[in-house]
Amino acid sequence: MVVSPQDQRMRSPDPAHSGDIQVAGAGTPIRQSSLWRDAKRRYVRNKGAVVAGAIFLIILAYCIIVPIVSPYDPDEVNFQDRFLPASLAHPFGTDAFGRDLFTRVALGGRISIMIGFAATFVILVIGLTYGSISGFVGGWLDNAMMRFLDALYGLPYLPFAIITLAIIGGTPTKWTMVLALSIASWFTAARIVRGQIITLKQNDYVRAATAVGARWYRVLARHLVPNTLGVLIIAIFLELPGVILGEAFLSFIGLGINPPAASWGSMAQEGRDVYRTHPSLILIPSLMIATLVLCANFIADGLRDALDPRTKET
Amino acid sequence: MIRFIIGRILWTIPVLLLVILMTFLMMRHIQGNPFRHSERAVSPEIQANLERKFNLDKPWYEQYFLYVKGVATFDLGPSLVLRNQSVNDIVREHFPKSLELGFLAMLFAVVFGIPLGVIAALRPNTVFDYGAMLFSNVGFAVPSFLIATLLIYFFALKWGDIFGLPTSGWTGWQSKILPVIALGLGPMAYFARLVRGTMLETLQQDYVRTAKAKGLSGRRVLMVHVLKNSLIPAVTAAGPLLGFLITGSFIIEFIFAIPGIGKYYITAVSARDYSVVMGLTVLLSVIVIVANMIVDILYGVLDPRTREVRT
Amino acid sequence: MALLEVKDLQTHFFTREAVVRAVDGVSFSVDKSKTLGVVGESGCGKSVTALSIMGLLPQPPAKIVGGSVNFEGFDLATLPEKSLEDIRGKEIAMIFQDPMTSLNPTLRIGTQIMETMQRHLGLDKGEARKRAIELLDEVHIPNAKDRLNDYPHRFSGGMRQRVMIAIAISCNPKLLIADEPTTALDVTVQAGVLDLLEELQAEHEMAMIVITHDMGVVAEAADDIVVMYAGQIVEQASALDLFDKPEHPYTEALLGALPQIEGAGIREGRLTAIPGRPPDLHDPPPACRFAPRCPYADRGDSCTVEEPQLREVRPGHWVRSAHPASERAREPVGAGT
Repeated sequence: MVVSPQDQRMRSPDPAHSGDIQVAGAGTPIRQSSLWRDAKRRYVRNKGAVVAGAIFLIILAYCIIVPIVSPYDPDEVNFQDRFLPASLAHPFGTDAFGRDLFTRVALGGRISIMIGFAATFVILVIGLTYGSISGFVGGWLDNAMMRFLDALYGLPYLPFAIITLAIIGGTPTKWTMVLALSIASWFTAARIVRGQIITLKQNDYVRAATAVGARWYRVLARHLVPNTLGVLIIAIFLELPGVILGEAFLSFIGLGINPPAASWGSMAQEGRDVYRTHPSLILIPSLMIATLVLCANFIADGLRDALDPRTKET
Repeated sequence: MIRFIIGRILWTIPVLLLVILMTFLMMRHIQGNPFRHSERAVSPEIQANLERKFNLDKPWYEQYFLYVKGVATFDLGPSLVLRNQSVNDIVREHFPKSLELGFLAMLFAVVFGIPLGVIAALRPNTVFDYGAMLFSNVGFAVPSFLIATLLIYFFALKWGDIFGLPTSGWTGWQSKILPVIALGLGPMAYFARLVRGTMLETLQQDYVRTAKAKGLSGRRVLMVHVLKNSLIPAVTAAGPLLGFLITGSFIIEFIFAIPGIGKYYITAVSARDYSVVMGLTVLLSVIVIVANMIVDILYGVLDPRTREVRT
Repeated sequence: MALLEVKDLQTHFFTREAVVRAVDGVSFSVDKSKTLGVVGESGCGKSVTALSIMGLLPQPPAKIVGGSVNFEGFDLATLPEKSLEDIRGKEIAMIFQDPMTSLNPTLRIGTQIMETMQRHLGLDKGEARKRAIELLDEVHIPNAKDRLNDYPHRFSGGMRQRVMIAIAISCNPKLLIADEPTTALDVTVQAGVLDLLEELQAEHEMAMIVITHDMGVVAEAADDIVVMYAGQIVEQASALDLFDKPEHPYTEALLGALPQIEGAGIREGRLTAIPGRPPDLHDPPPACRFAPRCPYADRGDSCTVEEPQLREVRPGHWVRSAHPASERAREPVGAGT
């Protein structure tokens, strides 16, 4: 097996994290309910991950429910109510146009989170395709595909996202943002999938399937790809922070979601104009982003304990 | 070893060509022919001249070839908007500032992040360790525009009388402090986490026990046996960190109004100066790809095991 | 006078759930130039004993809570770390089980051999280098001069263990502790490493403690033998006497587990033939710790409610059992045949 420095990079920044020796996630067929039960037990033991998961769900619920039940029209301009401080009627206060921030932050969250998950999905699809081809075919093709990834590692996604938005032209929408954010961000996902496929390929049950004459596409579809599910679930929460921050950056520099449509990034940009007098307008959306990213990191950590215990050294 | 280095350098060339091609095709797609856009009304004659000047009358593969040739000779072509400036001029003017910002931020991250990780690993599960890791987690999650804004709010405005730091610009050392911290905080958090993890792992290794069994002083065990093996993985973090710094510099230069590459990039996109956008994109990509190459080679030098496996 | 005298050593591990009494009152001594064999299953506390002597246990969770380790007038159990450093590698050296991981992968082996001598003998680089080449010759590594510049991954397991041995003897230690020195090696190179250890012991007049789970290893090398079980010594005698007339049922089982007592097959012996497993050490009941696995212990026996003490059944032969072989002369030896 080729030991490349990139394999080292792929490790979590915190590999020597305490943990128990567990049954292998990758080596066992996933069609075992006990495997998932074990995973749940291990996840629940990680207190940070449990709390993060709860906060994550609360934020999701807030973003979904509040705009529906809110008495305020999020787009209605009302100059008499500009910059109201936080109160019972307006828990987050109001913005420069007198709009209720509590409602608008929830709406912005919908867009940010939606873009986050959609772009993560696209990233995983590309990564799964690239990674499984590379890992499954192996040989010189794998070598070439991986060295290509090695070389691109760390390529900044922002310029490519900006170019992509420029190609599509017009005002960026949710969907063009999704495309722009995924175009140069799939390298890590591809590498994770490829590593997993290579590990799986060496398993006896995969060899057995090949030995009894299963066709390659059947081996791939039936044995290999389903067993990458664990790492893909982890990868969702590994990729999500980057994408959410990316959306925020693009919108913040004015190249992403534009007012009056709102995302947390574009709201932070609006808030930036008045941060000297009304800092809460940039603080609230920014802290929402930070909380979500922090939660995603902890969830990824917990999921790694739960689903892929072997990725960390004990 | 020499074979490994040459192999790695040779391998970089097709990747560079491919990335330039990707960028080129993407840009061509937006660009089409910029002079046929209705915004700038020009006579057919001038248009033909311009097209010749920018090689737009030639087939795309020839344009690509000419462009690559230009890149190879460090000529990124002329600007479309600023008629008497070349992309090279723009790079020469703006790049040093970005380079300085990035370098200082990296220095900040290394100087504070590595010791933080080392100390946390030496006192695992203490208040200090938890504090350092909480700081690291938060530092990595908070968007840099918030950090930058808060830094300006407190150190340039609220306590401006005490610190006397300017809110923007890139002249004199006072103006550089806040942007460097704002940009370096994320990489610093990353380093601290990474080094703590690899340190804890290394401390468990049998060879560290051997070193102690030899009666070596605690200092020597730490400096020679633990630290080197812990920091080798940190070297490989340079690739992603460089990407992080480039992305971050877009935001930081935007907020602090630093006339660097990132800020100019945004300006160029807004002005539809596509040859500048393309030139800068290619430049940034080349920097990352070459940095990756150097990291790989460095890793080979530092860790004797990878050398032979990879040749 | 004994070179090393361990008295009633108690080393406990303080984990979140419980206190594990890994070493629970162990006493033995090693004379100059002699070899002591410490035998037992994995987890019986033999490695922890060795690491306690060296002061190499991670603290926390481990802590020496009682007893003493006397070495040339010092009590190593209470000696401050700084003074311990002067003794480690110079007076007492140690080699470990897994030579694949015991050498630093990113340092040339020359550096790793030389640094010990530079530390303890005050040699400069040139002198240390010269000595290192001699040492590699001494442990029979060919092309010593060139191999000094190689990294560990260029060496096979057996060769790495030889490098470890070269490091260990570099400062002429008075005592060498070998913790499972051959366990991780291929069967074919085990004998070579053992022969080398014996050869070097004679040459350097070192005392040795050989820790192993393999009766075959101590049969060849040891003058005296200590058999450990569940953190305690269960039998202690000269090698001749122990192999000739084992007293403790556990020792009998160990010997019975050998494919044959004499002949070439000796080292393949593994302790697989004893049914059951050692007890948990966090709260051992007041009983003989071997009783649950002992073929001679009945339900009503005193040894199931009271812990037997280590006693001398004949001069120089100590045993901790209610049923030593010599006191049940008429019973057939049941285990392992």
